[in-house]
This record gives sequence, structure tokens and C-alpha cells, in this order.
Amino acid sequence: MNGTTTITMFRDAVLDPAKRAHYRLAWLSTVDHKRIAVLYLVTALVFFVIGGVEALFMRLQLAVPNNHLLQPDTFNALFTMHGTTMLFFVAMPALFGLVNYFLPLQIGARDMAFPRLNAFGFWCVPLGGILLHFSMLAGGAPAVGWFAYTPLSEMPYSSLPGTDYWAIALFVTGTGSISFAINTVATVISRRAPGMTMRRLPLFTWINFVNAFIILAALPILNAALAMLLVDRQLAGHFFLPLGGGSPILWQHIFWAFGHPEVYILALPAFGIISEIIPVFSRKPIFGYEFVAGSSVAIAVLSMSVWAHHMFTVGMGRTLDTFFVIASMLISIPTGVKVLNWSATMFGGRIHFKVPMLYAIAFLLQFLVAGLTGISHASAALDWQTKNSYFLVAHFHFVAVGAIVFAILGAVQYWFPKMSGRMMSEPLGRWTFWLMVIGFNMTFIIQHFLGLLGMPRRVYTYPDLPHWGWMNMLSTIGVFFMSAASLVLVWNILVSFFRGKPAGDNPWNAWTLEWATTSPPPHENFIALPLIRSRRPLWDLANPDRPDPVVGENSDAVTLPDHNKVGILSFIFSEVGFFGVLILAYLYFYAHPQPGPSGKELELGRTLVFSACLFASSFTFWRAEIALHLKRHALMLGWLGLTVVLGAVFLVGQVTEYWKLFQSGVEVGTNVFATAFFTLTGFHGLHVFIGLVVLSIFLWLAWRREVGAGRGTSSAFAAAGYYWHFVDVVWVFVLLTVYILPLLR
Amino acid sequence: MTTYQFFTTAWTWNFIAIALSAIASIAYLLGFGQRGRPVYFAAAIGLFLLSFISPFSALANGYLFSAHMVQHIVLVLIIPALFWLSLPRSFSLGPPLTYLTRPLIGWAAGVGAMWLWHAPALCNAAATSSAVSALQSASLLFMGSLFWWQVLAPRNEQRLSPPAGIAYLFTACPACSVLGIILTFAPVSICPVYQHPVDRLGILETIRGNWGLTSDRDQQIGGLLMWIPMCAIYLAAILAQLARWHSSPQLEQSNA
Repeated sequence: MNGTTTITMFRDAVLDPAKRAHYRLAWLSTVDHKRIAVLYLVTALVFFVIGGVEALFMRLQLAVPNNHLLQPDTFNALFTMHGTTMLFFVAMPALFGLVNYFLPLQIGARDMAFPRLNAFGFWCVPLGGILLHFSMLAGGAPAVGWFAYTPLSEMPYSSLPGTDYWAIALFVTGTGSISFAINTVATVISRRAPGMTMRRLPLFTWINFVNAFIILAALPILNAALAMLLVDRQLAGHFFLPLGGGSPILWQHIFWAFGHPEVYILALPAFGIISEIIPVFSRKPIFGYEFVAGSSVAIAVLSMSVWAHHMFTVGMGRTLDTFFVIASMLISIPTGVKVLNWSATMFGGRIHFKVPMLYAIAFLLQFLVAGLTGISHASAALDWQTKNSYFLVAHFHFVAVGAIVFAILGAVQYWFPKMSGRMMSEPLGRWTFWLMVIGFNMTFIIQHFLGLLGMPRRVYTYPDLPHWGWMNMLSTIGVFFMSAASLVLVWNILVSFFRGKPAGDNPWNAWTLEWATTSPPPHENFIALPLIRSRRPLWDLANPDRPDPVVGENSDAVTLPDHNKVGILSFIFSEVGFFGVLILAYLYFYAHPQPGPSGKELELGRTLVFSACLFASSFTFWRAEIALHLKRHALMLGWLGLTVVLGAVFLVGQVTEYWKLFQSGVEVGTNVFATAFFTLTGFHGLHVFIGLVVLSIFLWLAWRREVGAGRGTSSAFAAAGYYWHFVDVVWVFVLLTVYILPLLR
Repeated sequence: MTTYQFFTTAWTWNFIAIALSAIASIAYLLGFGQRGRPVYFAAAIGLFLLSFISPFSALANGYLFSAHMVQHIVLVLIIPALFWLSLPRSFSLGPPLTYLTRPLIGWAAGVGAMWLWHAPALCNAAATSSAVSALQSASLLFMGSLFWWQVLAPRNEQRLSPPAGIAYLFTACPACSVLGIILTFAPVSICPVYQHPVDRLGILETIRGNWGLTSDRDQQIGGLLMWIPMCAIYLAAILAQLARWHSSPQLEQSNA
């Protein structure tokens, strides 16, 4: 390594004034999916270092028995920050970054469907991460675990603002994740190149497409839970506090209804990566494409209905346990199908043991262990014994590191040439790989045995019991190997970026479209696309005499629905989950009435009048759309204006209702009914308000005759309409639950 | 009455169910003969009879909410599916019924069948009055048929495209799960009849004692059946849609 040359190149690339003018704001204001992807990856790397250092301190504290390197509170804070950082600010952004870069390339798209939304989704991540870490300066980091079980995370038990920062940080990144998922769905549905039918999608794209639906279903559930927790903490609500009739178990249900799908949100993209790497380095097409694709859908559906296996030790009763034991075991079938497909792909192939393939092979073995210990936890009887021990810590680290992080590292080595135009160093890559394999297994294999010997998790220190000392020491030594691996990785990235071997377009002789363009790709991604008739267009291009069989009809025809419509429907799908949780929580507390005000005291008559205004506004919007279609400008303005007025009248009605309730002494903190009532109707009101802002913007645009004139404005107008109708439909359910239901008793 | 005695003696020779099965079988044989897939039809008739004459129907009839739920699921989701599968490919519906074959109506019928009949008043009425019970069974079969028509209609062009079919089923799953969750966690009885059954057969002691099915646990099982195994049925249908999608004709390799 010649140091001076590196510095010269760094100066040329980054500090040269002529180029700097371009760089200064370009990366901050970019809406190019490739640059946003790089930002995602760099952010993930930064937080990876932070989360890793947090883990290092925890392992140092646990290295010997009765250690006092860290205070108990500090340990709890590190343990919370490590979990939260690694899941939300490392694994998710790293995977989203890879998807952001390669999903549009794999389908031959020019960019994501909504480039600005893409930038918004990314910037939510650093904002959330900074909020989370700022808590350290603002009076103490959260110390309630990444799961923030109530009532520990409630005001009486955690009065420092750390928990609030935690909740807000996750709300912000969660919103970013949802916008990312909306973008992914819209991109795959509406931005495919001619010939790229849904059945010809590369597996990485297909699996991440399916994954986007899990994100849309699961993240809003977390957001609802966080909103409820914040209402409890900031507005003296009672959702999860037993003292005011709230239910701490309810938090666990809602949190794990998100938390279990979250495991798959991280695992599925990793499966997608492995499904790309293994065929390329085995020089064979994937074995059983349909099974890998289909099992992803099965995982997506099943992942929603197994969350209670995180709660066997809560004491839900034998009936619930039994059902969730069976459902949890079912999910091992589609996962097992995938492992068999990958193994069968390697079987009989000419395997090239390059670094990405090494990671894929390690992934297979480690994921197998993770899966087997996972199945053991699906059995409630065994789970009772091992759940609160290091056996579980070992299990989920085998999933999170042994599978997911290994897949990410493999993907970085695999796709780095495309992103930078230069190969990553193969020898340095091998160093990282072997240090990582040794360090990871040294740290975590032994923790299975520690757990079986009875060492509980979530403890800051432990007594000097037989074998515990050396086992923990071994585990801590492993962390140093992983740290060394990370240092070599960062060095490798830096050196390869400036001095790596030029990669060419397709260094691995891979078959998917991202390898059909230059490395790095031009701003518009492709100059020209090859003919797409199968799942391996570059194979067909290179082997014109023996192409893959054509998949589906032999044509370029693809149906591409309007991206605005797809986007808003995806958004509405996610909102259903958010309101679903709030309505179910309301019902739960309705069924467990507390002393004080209840739904019977609400004034139905007045509410019905204002509801009628809201429902009428859906009708007037529909008339406005028809008028727009008929190009009757004045009529359209009239109907749209009336829509805004009717929506505003509804809001005024709600404000009056709130005012009257406040007057009679009913506030958010009065009892659990009031908490649930104000949260549900308040969030609905907020949605109406946002809808009004959107409609007012359209009214202004319509006034200037810009709606329906330019490209896409009428479809954007229609999308706003979908949202507005959705807000009305939510009110139908709120009206039924909150106002009508008490009358039926 | 012991468990053994119950399962050997509690068969009810429900004349209407048997007569309907006989008429349907004859109509099927006359109408479609060998052109259909009689195995599916026989399975549908078999399940239909089982749900109305076996001891299971005695349990569903006022004793156990969970048994009622199994019957409910069989009537909405399994028998109509088997029925559409048994029909010959050439079958299509006549004009008045074609209005009912819109996807939104099918979806609402399938999900509504679950929600509607679990309103406490209706659920109670169906468990106490045999007329309401018959109406319930008929409506469940009908609504289930509307639901499945979208994905299992005999002719390919009458069905939703596989991706749309997947979305149709994927959204039906949570819509029913939510009801299952409500039933599972409801602190009050959704269908109070099952809380204190009229012990017509003298089996209640065995159910509560030997089987350990208290009324709370009974409702929980009912809710969980709707929450989890039902989604497994939708999931199976989703996988069938995927299989159908991926097995549509693959052309020979082109010379392009």
C-alpha cells in the first residue's frame, strides 16, 4: 500500500475544488436511488461501529464473575442501546440500502417510483439514530430493553426522558421504513422494464417485494404501540399501567405482533441475498425458483400469526400456548424448504469459493443452527426453561449475526464492484471472513451451554459458579476477533475504493440485470437493456445458442399500473394496521370497564350530524373528480371547495366535543376509557387535518388550473381521493366502536 | 354419559340434511355425470353430513362454542371450496347470479360470514332455534360459495388472476384473524348460550370434567380456531394460487 498515492487519490476525489462544488450538497440533497443507497449503507456502518462498541463494553463487563467495570444502570442502558441500534439503525438500513441500490437495477428501472419519498425515508434513519443517542446527553439513555416492557418503561418506573427519546426515535425510523416499503411495492409494480414480468423477477427483488408487505403490515403496529406509550408517558394516559386499569400484557401483545414479523423483515432480505449469491458462485440456476418464491409468501403470512410464542412465559394459559406452538412449528417448513433449495443449488455445481460464497456457506450452516434452536423454542415446555437464559441470547444472535450480518457482509463483497467500479480485495476479504467466523462462533456457541447451565440473560454480572467464568471469558475473547474482522472490513472498503482492481461490468459472470450496465452505473442506470425473456437475461445474452426456457408468454408486454395509485393503496394498507391496533385497544378497554366516564356519556346526536358532513365530503370529492374528468373547471372548484368545507366542519365538531369533555373534567388521564378515546379519535382527527391540507393544496392548484393539466396531476388527485375516502371509512369503524357499541348493551 | 357412549350414541338422523345430500348427489350425477370431479363432490357431501348428523353436530348445537366454530369454518371455507372444485370446467353461472361474482362482493361475503353470525344476538339465536340455525347454515354455505368463486370458479377466465387472487386471500386472513383475536381475549361470553348449556344429552359433566373444557377455555379455543387454523386455510389457497401462476404455460425456448 502506497500511502501517498491513497492520499492523492482521496484529494482528487473529494477535495479537488472543481469536483467539490459538485459534491458539497449533492450527497445531502440527492434523490438518486444509488446515492441514497450508499448513504443508507454508510449510516449503517457508522451505527454498526457504535452498536459494536456498546456490545464490546457489555462483554467486557461479563468477562469475569462479580465484575464492577460498569454500573448496573449503565449496563442496562448499553444493553438497550445495543439491541435498538443493531436492529433499527444497522440491520434495517444496511438491507434497505442494498435493496435501494439493486432492486431498481435488477428490474431495469431508472429509479425508485418516488425518488423524493426515498430521500425522506433515508433521512428518517439518521434523524432517529441521532435522537436515540442524543438521549445520553439529555439526562440518560433508555434502560428498558429494546422491547421496552411496560410497566418498566412507564413514567413511575423510568422517569428520565431516555425512554421518550427511544420511542420517538423508533417512531421516526418506523415512518421511514414504511415509506421505503411503499416505494418498493410501487417500484416493483410500476417501474419494470419491458419483458420483466412479475414471474421473471430475480429472487432478491421478489423476496424484497414480499418483504415490503410485511413491513407495511408490521411497522404501523409498532408505531401505534409507541404512540400509546408516549400518550401514557407524556399525557398521563393509562394504556399499559395496571394502576389505572391499563394492561401491561397488552403492550407485549402489540409489541410482539410487530416484533416477530420484524425478525422476518430482517431475515427475508438476507434470504434474497443468499438466493443471488449461491447460484452465481455454483454456476447453476437456482434450484426450484418457484419454491423459494412461494415459501417467502408463506413466511410472510405465517409470521403475522405466531407472535405469542414470545410470550409463553407470560402465562397466557395452555390453550393459547398450544395453538402458538403448532403455528410456530409450521413456519419452519417454508424456511426449511429454502435451505433445501440452496443446498440443492450447490449440489453438483462448480463451486467458486470466492468471499461472497464463503459467507453464503457460513450463512447456511449458522442459519441451520439458528433454525434448530428456534424450533426448540417453539415448544412451550422447553421455552419455559430456556427463555430467560443465555440459550435464547445465543439463538437470536445466530439469526441476527450468523445469518443476517453474514448475508449483508457477503452482499457487500458481492456488489461492491458494481457500486464502486472496483473489486474488494479477496485476501483481505478472507481475513474478515475467517476472523468473523471464528469470533462469532466463539462468542455465541458457548452461550448455548451457558444458558443450559442456567445463566440468566439481562443480568449485569453473575456469581462465580462452576464453569460460568471460563465460558464467559471465551465468549468475550470472541468479540475481539469480531472487532478485528470489522477493522479489516473497513480497511478493505477504504483501500478497495481507491486502489481496488477495476471491476468491469460483470466481474462474477452473474446473470441479473444490474450486471448489464457499467460499474458504477450511469445516473440513468442503463443505456440499453438486453432482451428479457427469462430470469437470467445475461445468460441468454451470453449463450444465444442455448438460452434459458422462456418464462410465461414470449413477449415484452408488462402491465404497469399507475404508481400513484399503487403507492397510496400501499400507504392505506399500512394505515389499516395502525388504526386496527388503536380500535382493538379501545375495544379491549371497553370490555374491561373502569370507574369514571365511559362511552355512554358521549353525545351521539351531535356526532352523527358532524359524521354526516364527513361522509358527505366523500361524495362531493367524487363529484369533483367527475367534474375534472369532464373538464368543467368551475364546477370542479365548487365541489372540491365544498369537500374542504365539509371536512373542516367535521373537525370543528370534534373540537367542540373535546372542549365539552374538557369542561366536564374528562381529560386523557382521567381513566383508561378517556385515554383510549382521545388517542383513537385524536389520531383520526390528525388524519382528517392532513387530508384537509392535501385537499387545500389541490384546491389552490385547481384554482391555477394545474390539476389535470400536467403529467400525473390527475393521478395524484385521484390518489388524494383514495386517502380522503379511507379517512372516512376509518370514521365508520370509529363511529361504530366508540359511539354505537355502548347503545347495544 | 361417558365419552365412548357419547360418540357411539349421539348420532342424530337429521332427515333434512340426509334428504338434501341425496337430492344434491342425484342432481350432480344427472347434471354432470362423469364430466366433473366426483371425488371432491363426495368429500363435500361427506363433510356436510358429518357436520349435521355426527356427535360433533350435537356438540356444536348448544354445548361447545369451539365445536360450533369448527362447523362454521367447514361450512364457509371447506364445503363450498370442494363444491366448486367438483364442477366440470364448462360450468358457468346464469345471469341473475353473475351480479354476485364481483370480487368485492365475494370478499365481503366471505369475511362477513364470519363477523355477522358472531354478533351475540345472532349467535345465540342460531344456537337455540333450529329455524335460525338452518338459515345460518344455508347462508354460510352461500356466502362461502361467493367467496370461493373468485379463486376456484371452474373456468380460468372467471377467476381472479393469480396475483389478484393472492391479494384477495391475503387480506381476508387478517380480517378474520381480528375477529378471532376479539373472541379469544373477550372477557365476556360472545355467545352466552354456550356458557350454561341445557344438558339435553347428559354429557355436560364429561365435557367440563373429563375433557377439561370450561366455558372460558371453550370460547378461547373457538377464537383461536378462527385466528390461526383459518389463516392456514387461506395460506394453502394462496400457495395454490402461486402454483397456478407459475404453472401457466411455459413456451419452448425462443430463437430471438
